Amino acid sequence: MTAFAIDSVDTVRDRIVDAAKRGIGLRVVGSGTWLDAGRPVGSSEIVSTKDLTGITEYVPGDLTLTARAGTKLAEIREATAGHGQWLALDPPGSPNSTLGATVATGSAGPLRTYFGSPRDLTLGVEFVSGVGVVARGGGRVVKNVAGFDLTRLMTGSWGTLGVITEVTVRLHARPEADESVAIAVDAKTGVAHVRQLLRRLPFTPYACEVVNDTLAVQLGSNGTTALLRLAGNSEGIQAQRNALTELGEVRAIDPSVWTKFAAIEPDASMVFRISGLPAEIESRWREAGDIAAACPGTLVHASPSRGVVRCVVPTSDAAREALKMRFAIPAQTSRIGERLPAELWPLCSPAPTADQLSTGIKRAFDPNNVLNVGILGETA
Amino acid sequence: MSIAVAPEIDQSLASRLSEIVGPKRVLFRPSELLTYTADALPSYFKRPSLAVFPGTRDEVVAVVRELAARKLPFVPRGSGTGLSGGALADGVVLIGLNRLSRVLSVDAENCLAVVEPGVVNVALSRAVAAHGLHYAPDPSSQAACTIGGNVAENAGGPHCLKYGVTTNHIVAITALLPSGEIVKLGRPDGENEGYDLVGSFVGSEGCFGIALDITVRLSRNPEAVRTLLADFMSLDDAAHAVSSIVATGIISAALEMIDQATVRAVEASIYAAGYPTDAAAVLLIELDGAAAGIERDVATVDALCKQHSARTVRIARDEVERAKLWQGRKKAFGAMGRVSPHLVVQDAVVPRTKLPEVLAEVKRIGERNRVPVCNVFHAGDGNLHPNIPYNAANADETERVHAAMKEIMAACVKAGGTITGEHGVGIDKLPYMDMIFSPDSLATMCSLREVFDPDRRSNPGKVVPVHACREWHAAPAARAAMR
Repeated sequence: MTAFAIDSVDTVRDRIVDAAKRGIGLRVVGSGTWLDAGRPVGSSEIVSTKDLTGITEYVPGDLTLTARAGTKLAEIREATAGHGQWLALDPPGSPNSTLGATVATGSAGPLRTYFGSPRDLTLGVEFVSGVGVVARGGGRVVKNVAGFDLTRLMTGSWGTLGVITEVTVRLHARPEADESVAIAVDAKTGVAHVRQLLRRLPFTPYACEVVNDTLAVQLGSNGTTALLRLAGNSEGIQAQRNALTELGEVRAIDPSVWTKFAAIEPDASMVFRISGLPAEIESRWREAGDIAAACPGTLVHASPSRGVVRCVVPTSDAAREALKMRFAIPAQTSRIGERLPAELWPLCSPAPTADQLSTGIKRAFDPNNVLNVGILGETA
Repeated sequence: MSIAVAPEIDQSLASRLSEIVGPKRVLFRPSELLTYTADALPSYFKRPSLAVFPGTRDEVVAVVRELAARKLPFVPRGSGTGLSGGALADGVVLIGLNRLSRVLSVDAENCLAVVEPGVVNVALSRAVAAHGLHYAPDPSSQAACTIGGNVAENAGGPHCLKYGVTTNHIVAITALLPSGEIVKLGRPDGENEGYDLVGSFVGSEGCFGIALDITVRLSRNPEAVRTLLADFMSLDDAAHAVSSIVATGIISAALEMIDQATVRAVEASIYAAGYPTDAAAVLLIELDGAAAGIERDVATVDALCKQHSARTVRIARDEVERAKLWQGRKKAFGAMGRVSPHLVVQDAVVPRTKLPEVLAEVKRIGERNRVPVCNVFHAGDGNLHPNIPYNAANADETERVHAAMKEIMAACVKAGGTITGEHGVGIDKLPYMDMIFSPDSLATMCSLREVFDPDRRSNPGKVVPVHACREWHAAPAARAAMR
């Protein structure tokens, strides 16, 4: 692959215009820590925003931050921590992941339970569309309904409509206390119990992930474990801990568990989510358990209040064959791929951009098919 | 005021629509249409040629398909409580959706409900109350406004500070495109892959089509709620109290500011809430969540207000007192009705730290133009609502009011803000779109609209100024590729 130095919005635009002129496609890349994610893209050339860095505006009192797309999440963490604030996003992967790529892929981690995904935290974007137009959606304030919502359209569009060059996000002030706990739960029924309890309790934890035994061991626990992140004032947290004893013994753990959690994916792994309504999460957990039984070393974690189960399967020929057989069985739930070998993608849920509106949007924003073509599946 | 009536709209259309919805549900006499010539912002009047009120989803579809066949423009409308002149246009067919008012299903376990577009906001919360749930976005007009209208405007409300605005609570929509085609957007489980079509549709102000049904996320009712009223002798102190509360990490459910002029109007009305009329501003602060720990947060907020020179901080003792405090806030616009016959309501957002200086500037602008500016707004997220009561029969006064409003908007944009936080662009904010978006950004928005409505027949002339909708293909790469 040939890389070009991209250090300004103008160079991004020039690169896109040049590609359109030459009739070639571009692979849109941030810092390149997650390149095997998404469906295969055939492009031979890349456009990377990794050198488009820097926080351009941060007024702590406004709880908003604007940064160029290549700014690393770690840099934002450092800049905001000193003011007792944070960008409440903890997507899986490296702390070197860029803000632009996180927003473009709509990536979120355990904190999604309370704070939502980039869709809920992104206030504005600047991007260069596939026709080389520099456009902005949203703004720099926390509430804004001016104009059609280009910000949400760009969030999670995987760079197929435009290259994001700048992002404004909503920050949150850190709470007085933020504690992490672990509770051993039943391998079969634990996930459903956790979901039922969370539905009833008068609080929402910052995070709640039920992890299988293989993953638990890597995170310093044993057996199927519910990991929770509780926040508020100390009185509130005490009450939350008491309420959770219904599930079992509540054990305080080091908050570094979440950093480890974000970094658990080995380089060579096949990653996908199984998603549906929360109330039926138990069946998804069972399905993931079957996959883990067939593919040794599989890490499974479930977000009970969202109904999502995520599987990280170590890559091997045997595991690939096992997944192929499993994916061939039609499922009630949707399988959403993250990192998969090419032959497994067609067995995932149908390409999400094959509908008439998505096809129309792609054609309007990238009529020459320059940007990340195929990463979200073929458009009609 | 001239009213254009599209010549294509004729008796044959009225007859055909009557066949679909029944003759009583098609209005075309000027007297009958009067109600539909304005929304809740009494500055704009546009007369539709017809108003049609389908009672079922099939009737809506049939009406829209009929209009598509005739290539006629239409405006979807909920309860008409909008504040941007959004649901009106001259010569169009107005489609009233209020009769589609059924809550189609409630899934309490998954905290979801599917509703028709004409369901009234507060009626939805009532319908799910038995499950200990509610629908969080709560615009002040919630007793009348519809979920369909809320979706179109991406409506906010006081409690959006903690719970988010409409778009954060909509997971799926069955949409009827202006072509008459029906499309499903989003997924009920909210795990969306692909383009955020729900996010694109929400806030599109009726320009992308009509929502036939809407799947909303419901929120659990909080175990405990505490409402505080703090009064300040200066706006500045009140604004600084807001900033320091936000900085604690305690996320207030609501954080509203009401200035003296508004307090006086409220206290002189039937909505009197017991706000002190000699204070420069009062803050209405609500904390909610689990009972455990909430008193600690209340004490923290109380102390912060006093640190910023609050004269008194009152905590509502019971639900009755709490409801009264809120009524004063939610009915503030109504209370203004006593002051003068007309009212302009502005809806700008500024970065929170700029509140003190922008409020001071707003005051100067009012004085300069000799108009009384009243402020009642969502201070927690910097969403200002400067209101000016006036008499539209007085041409000189009207002119000064509009001049002041323009200056206020310019001051908010200059402070890094935006021109609308929750009311929408409609026609009222159209002239300001160029102040915050480049021609390329506006053209990009047009190109998105054209995917949903290539003929621009659904709510024509709203959101993006027409001049901005130039040919997308004039863009540099498109030109390059064509060479």
